[in-house]
Amino acid sequence: MNRILQIAKREFMSTAMTKAFIIGAFVIPGVCFLAIPLIIRLTMAAEAPKVVGTVAIIDRSGAAADGVIESLTPEAISARRGDEVGRIQEAALAGEGQELLEGQDGGDGAGAGTEDATDGVPGTSPGGDGARSLQQAMRMADRVQGLSDKIPEFTPLVLDPASADEEAQKQRLWESPGEGESASSQLLALVVIDADAVRRGEGQEQFGTFSLFHRPRMDDRIVDEIRDGVRGAIREARYAAYGQDPAWLEALTTVRRPAVREVTQEGERSSASGLAMMLPLGFMILLMLSVMIGSQYLLTTTIEEKSSRVVEVLLSAVSPMQLMTGKVLGQMLVGGVILLIYGGLGFGALAAFALADLVSPVQVAFLVAFFLLTYTMMASMTASVGAAVNELREAQSLQGPIMMAVMIPYFLWLPLSRDPNAVWAQVLSFVPPISPFVMMIRMTSSDPPAMWQPLLAVAINAVACYGFLWFAAKVFRVGLLMYGKPPNLATLIKWVRMA
Amino acid sequence: MDDAIRLMGVRKTFGSKAAVEGLDLAIERGSLTGFIGPNGAGKTTTIRMIMAILFPDSGRIEVLGRKSAVESKDRIGYLPEERGVYKKMKVLAFLEHMAALKGVRGAGLRQKVFDWLARVELEGVHAKKCEELSKGMQQKVQFIASVIHEPELLILDEPFSGLDPVNMRLLRDLVMEQHKAGRTVIFSTHVMHTAEALCDHIVMISRGRKVLDAPLAQIEREHEAREIAFVPLDAGAGFEAVEGVEGVASVRRTERGGAALIREGESIAEVMGRVAGSMAMSRVEILRPSLEDLFIDIVKRQGEENVEQVRASIREAGGGALAGVGAEGGEA
Repeated sequence: MNRILQIAKREFMSTAMTKAFIIGAFVIPGVCFLAIPLIIRLTMAAEAPKVVGTVAIIDRSGAAADGVIESLTPEAISARRGDEVGRIQEAALAGEGQELLEGQDGGDGAGAGTEDATDGVPGTSPGGDGARSLQQAMRMADRVQGLSDKIPEFTPLVLDPASADEEAQKQRLWESPGEGESASSQLLALVVIDADAVRRGEGQEQFGTFSLFHRPRMDDRIVDEIRDGVRGAIREARYAAYGQDPAWLEALTTVRRPAVREVTQEGERSSASGLAMMLPLGFMILLMLSVMIGSQYLLTTTIEEKSSRVVEVLLSAVSPMQLMTGKVLGQMLVGGVILLIYGGLGFGALAAFALADLVSPVQVAFLVAFFLLTYTMMASMTASVGAAVNELREAQSLQGPIMMAVMIPYFLWLPLSRDPNAVWAQVLSFVPPISPFVMMIRMTSSDPPAMWQPLLAVAINAVACYGFLWFAAKVFRVGLLMYGKPPNLATLIKWVRMA
Repeated sequence: MDDAIRLMGVRKTFGSKAAVEGLDLAIERGSLTGFIGPNGAGKTTTIRMIMAILFPDSGRIEVLGRKSAVESKDRIGYLPEERGVYKKMKVLAFLEHMAALKGVRGAGLRQKVFDWLARVELEGVHAKKCEELSKGMQQKVQFIASVIHEPELLILDEPFSGLDPVNMRLLRDLVMEQHKAGRTVIFSTHVMHTAEALCDHIVMISRGRKVLDAPLAQIEREHEAREIAFVPLDAGAGFEAVEGVEGVASVRRTERGGAALIREGESIAEVMGRVAGSMAMSRVEILRPSLEDLFIDIVKRQGEENVEQVRASIREAGGGALAGVGAEGGEA
């Protein structure tokens, strides 16, 4: 036992007590943890250069141009921004970023959904996928940042629809400004409003719209600014044309954000947020990361011991089984350190958002149990691969199937978290070696399985672990002193029979 | 019987090739045994089986009275032929690690490592990484690793390969010292004169079979010298005078002089005196058959076709060591 521990100690020290590991495992996540808020703050503080230029308007409807000019004044722009900041704050107070962007449709007005697909995909259910909520969070951050930019200075230029040459104006958009031309006369964008944009055409169900042409490589936030302004102006023009009261229509079309509450035995609570949806993914990645890092190091050190021929020196003191056990244990500790660091960071982040109660001690206990089991299975396989080959390159073809076991649950994460109790999900959660990943996702999903299921999975995996170790020990022993042609799977099986 | 190692009918095959075939062997406690044979003869395989790193297909192995070396690993020191070091590890840490694996612990360990490093003239390298050492220096570090736990049985597989003469002598003295301290020492070599100079017992194997197993003294006795080498003072002189000496059967010319074959039943000492007196000589000596000749002789009788190749492989270490790695590697 002492020897096993001595091997494990060296294994851990030689892996974890290196500069590369400390930088990789502590410094980089640490820097990220500290730097990300800093970078966000810096980019938010950094002001984009003020945009100055002309916006040409060809108004074929003849009723919207004045409104457009009005909407492009600095005052109007700043008022629109103010509205948006208010909305974001309101949503942030509710703690639900996802719905902010859905709610935006209401604020933008009735026509938003048809006008621009990127702006108003009708809200998904709160149980929608996390990738989308992540994307939305990024867009939100982007918007917040845009709001703090300097207000652009547009010079409106209304062209006569009868005489204006649309193509010539478009050409001006990509041509560089001529000598002596001032910045404000540089054409930034061309707005062409359809004839039936304000008054519906005879027998038509839909109103006309407008086209927006802009310079190449223009900041998309400036484009949004112009688009939102023109849209608002056309809306106002329509109200006026049909004699409607804007305030009344606004009230009519706005439904205030509903309160979404989850009702449980313990009482009501706010519905699962996007963050909660990320929980299964977080747990799976944590498991995957710690298992992969530990077993990858194990592969490297085993190959190193073999290729540097230190292995026979070791075998003079310990048996192959002791050597393998020691190495597996040592790297288990490395994986455990990774689990602790990243798990701790993740938990810290949850606690910072007062969401720590999303994680239960039972889940953590199972995470640890599943880590130990999955790691042992993966590590015993990688150890035997490491012993069988002569160099890292040769290990790849044998590592492939092993890595698949880790990657499959990753691809299954989305369907799994949507339907954690489907028959196929239940079956997969008992099939080693992917069982721990699948079970972990199911356990942390919104609809966790009954407690006997993870317990049974632990038992099944423990049995599988024994089988994996048995196979690995044989391959390890035979492989260690085999040099020459890299083996394939058939050779490995022959070795198991031989040993 | 108080044997350190006993092998009974040991057989080991790799695929269709038999590496070791029906090997019986008994190594007395306290002996210094040379385990010799050409490359690929099965030396390393046998040693690995003794160390329970490989397991025989059939036959039994007893080491230090136990059924397997696994049960007595702390009492065995082993310097394998395929030896390496942890490249990134410091010398001190490496030796402490190896000692700990062999059950040496406690406060005295570090001092012991320093003492040993001093003895092999490696003072001050303890803080260096193993990869910074030359191959010869690494070999000395590995030797320390194999003796630091003061084993009763020391098994050295090609311990002298790749060493310069100075370090070779140093290591040889250390091996002799272990032997004098009453420890059983076995070392394999494919260089015969190393074995001849050191051992008191020789085991010779060829093609997986034992072809010779006897004390060196007995080998010398049995293969008694029957020739007297002489170098006349006058290099141009003929050998007629020697041919006429009583008891000389025939004379053949050698590179530097001649060699007189003694007639059966004659005393070599008496004939030698007569040869010396027959003409002016610069040198007269008994021509002993070297272990090398003996080996070639035995191999020839076995029907080995490539005698010259074998001769080359057992004569000198240079290059032979490299070839050895390749051959043993393929075999394992």
